[in-house]
Amino acid sequence: MWTIFGYLLSGLLFWGGAGYAADKWLGTTYLTLIGLIVGMGGALYLVWLRFGRE
Amino acid sequence: MLALVLQGAEGEGFVPPSTKDFELPPIFGDNPYTTKPIFLVIFSVILISVFFIAASRRAAIVPSKLQFAGESVYAFVRNDLAKDVIGHEFLRFVPYLFTLFTFILVNNLFGIIPIIQFPTMSHVGFAYVLAMFTFFVFHYVGVRKHGLYKYIKEIMFMPGVPKAAYILITPLEILTFFLVRPLTLSLRLFANMFAGHLLLLVFILGGEHLAQGAIGLKLVSPFAFGIGIVLTFFEFMVQCLQAYIFTLLTALYIAGALADEH
Repeated sequence: MWTIFGYLLSGLLFWGGAGYAADKWLGTTYLTLIGLIVGMGGALYLVWLRFGRE
Repeated sequence: MLALVLQGAEGEGFVPPSTKDFELPPIFGDNPYTTKPIFLVIFSVILISVFFIAASRRAAIVPSKLQFAGESVYAFVRNDLAKDVIGHEFLRFVPYLFTLFTFILVNNLFGIIPIIQFPTMSHVGFAYVLAMFTFFVFHYVGVRKHGLYKYIKEIMFMPGVPKAAYILITPLEILTFFLVRPLTLSLRLFANMFAGHLLLLVFILGGEHLAQGAIGLKLVSPFAFGIGIVLTFFEFMVQCLQAYIFTLLTALYIAGALADEH
């Protein structure tokens, strides 16, 4: 259970952070949101890979 | 009632507990290494050593009460944590897990033991150090078992995933293994102890303050103390649970590093 939490957290941190950096760099505002969503999706995918697939 | 409390608080200046309550002054002079948490850590080590040496001396087939108590704790860590989680190689990790569990447990329980009443782990530095130990242990174990290259590769590239997905996943794996795991491990322990101590401070200091107020406030004060007592039992549960979770996660991480494929 805590492993899943860890993945979700790092997903949000990394891709959300990347989106935020891209926002700062390009002067846009929507990339943080996209980054967060991508991060959450990636983390969920990873959780599925680890625990869901047989 | 809230208005009454507020009025009382304004009149007498109730100081709500804050992070300042955790900044304890040095006991000897200005030396910053002689604060209460440091002594508590040393005291806990002495306490645990004395207890288990006493419990394991003159070990008999029919155990004394002390021996039984000591062996129960040991058996709990050995069987329920190490053996069930790590599997057949568990025995060499029992000393580490056992030390970790008893050390965290005793230091947490200091939070509700009268007179001491300060959980050492509510200073984040101690929790960081423990998490660093676990961090090094599980990575070392993994590197020793698989070799550095294979271990890192197994963390970064999970087999059976389309190549394009690695762009999405690999950073997350690295971040999880090298940053999020030790960070969550230490912060969970620290935050639970910190919040618990603060909660007890609020109700017990609040009860004391109410008892010095007007007659209406005096009547409410026993309830604050009552909730304080209930919360003390609640804290006891949280403290045991946090020691257990920290040790359990350490065992899980070691088991993950030992596994043939992640």
